[in-house]
Amino acid sequence: MKVYLDNNATTRIAPEVLDAMLPFLTEKFGNPSSFHSFGSDLMEEIEAAREKVAALLGAHAGEIVFTSGGTESDNMALTCSASINPLKPGLVTSTIEHPAVLETAECIRSRGHPVGLSEVNHDGTLNMDSFISLITEQTGLVSIMMANNETGVIMPVEETARIAHERGALFHTDAVQAAGKIPIDVRSSGIDMLSISAHKLHGPKGAGALFIREGIDLPPFMLGGHQENGLRAGTYNTAGIIGLGVAASLAAEHLLEEKGRTGLLLGRLEAGILEKCPGAIIVSAGARRLPNTATVLFRGVESEAVMTLLDIEGICVSSGSACSTGEETSSYVLAAMGIGADDANTALRFSLSRYTTGREIDCVLEVLPPIINKLRKISPYANR
Amino acid sequence: MNPRNSGQLLNPDCHSEVGSVQCGDAMTLDIQVDDEDRIAEIRFMTFGCAGAIAASSAMTEIAKGKTLEEALTISNDQIVAFLGGMPEEKYHCSVMGQEALELAVADFRHRRDNTAEHLNSILREIPASLAAALSEGSIDIEHIHPARVSVRLEGVDEEAVIAVLEEELQNRTGKKVKVMVIR
Repeated sequence: MKVYLDNNATTRIAPEVLDAMLPFLTEKFGNPSSFHSFGSDLMEEIEAAREKVAALLGAHAGEIVFTSGGTESDNMALTCSASINPLKPGLVTSTIEHPAVLETAECIRSRGHPVGLSEVNHDGTLNMDSFISLITEQTGLVSIMMANNETGVIMPVEETARIAHERGALFHTDAVQAAGKIPIDVRSSGIDMLSISAHKLHGPKGAGALFIREGIDLPPFMLGGHQENGLRAGTYNTAGIIGLGVAASLAAEHLLEEKGRTGLLLGRLEAGILEKCPGAIIVSAGARRLPNTATVLFRGVESEAVMTLLDIEGICVSSGSACSTGEETSSYVLAAMGIGADDANTALRFSLSRYTTGREIDCVLEVLPPIINKLRKISPYANR
Repeated sequence: MNPRNSGQLLNPDCHSEVGSVQCGDAMTLDIQVDDEDRIAEIRFMTFGCAGAIAASSAMTEIAKGKTLEEALTISNDQIVAFLGGMPEEKYHCSVMGQEALELAVADFRHRRDNTAEHLNSILREIPASLAAALSEGSIDIEHIHPARVSVRLEGVDEEAVIAVLEEELQNRTGKKVKVMVIR
């Protein structure tokens, strides 16, 4: 039995999504930008997909720009914002953002612009004092992720957006992990820009979107053709965009029901692990988290060994660290929370989806505890 | 995964610890050495990836029965070959076992030197209790191991000499050192 609990890495494509995409990979191969109707008729389908994505976010279709995924959306939001107003090129974000944000922030810093990284608390929530202290007159953009990919902790988007606006800055959020898992309403949350990725919500890889609130005029990100109002040139990834649209609709349709169902399964998984695995600690247990994500420390047991043994049993999970170069690099997210490398090296992430079943959870609870016990028996740190 | 020789020894002749939990790889090694300097028992504990655990286990399998000198020549390539190959990015995992072995052998030699030093000092400045037991006889050291020494005795009260030597060694090393007589 294959057990897939690595849905924060990527998700299974929904059958409805694949069905909707296939015609665009076969007979409907035209270029939506063409003059002839064989191609240009597809523009209607693209616009329909735009409506669907907008509906998931509470936005207008005209505020959605299609991209190649979450990384591009984050790059676009941060890079383009930095050049809107020469008096406010600064960026404030946090230490636990996705590398797509952190690396772009580093690039902005290297151009001489002020970049501040807000600290987080021990439970993975945003340290508001640190956050507020970093915003200056020069801050043009604040970017705080909606939920963290490792801990699942939900960040205070509405509050940080309000603070950003009070200081005259725009607000972007990387909602790649949150979209489809918790309700999003860009209007009531005061969000100016928001990134999503199709493959994290049962859509195809290579498609994503950036919501840009009406009235915000970003300079072009990709130069070339006139697609996406000249902001993002490049031939439309028709099948990918259609897939993203259907995936967004399905996510919206299942959102509330899934939030409850996935949450119950996750609770069952966490309770079972705590009961059967001595030394296990749920990271950010007390914080508000996504209903699908749990990172667990199995003290005394190195995570890659556990992953390898789970993999042999057909169970897919992930860890923040990888022993590939001899220099183990443990999770920067856990490090930012003050979790030492000794514990961070024992962290495993379980992430569920709409397709996760109770049987899969039972299988993990049957297979995992003996593996942990076996590794603890040969670990010099099991009882320290 | 069924690693061989995992665990600890109750009274190891030598012990080593390498790596650290912070850097993601760590290992302990316990060894018992026989009177021919051969590795009689060897046990490891490893915190690390499956590759590190497998390499630790392979190292102990190769080392078992070898003399300490021979064990020091065990190479990474031997460990990798024993496992039937390893991905290149995991080669570094096999280094830890070698390092642990080197440290354990050094620990053994240090402990043996310590026992030898105390034994020699007893024989150099013979305490009154030993002088009485030795009387006119002689004592020759045959072999020194951290936990036991073999001696040849001639013309002495064997039981008395053994008792006095063991007591003196215990007092000075803080450990139980067995005295064995070779005839």
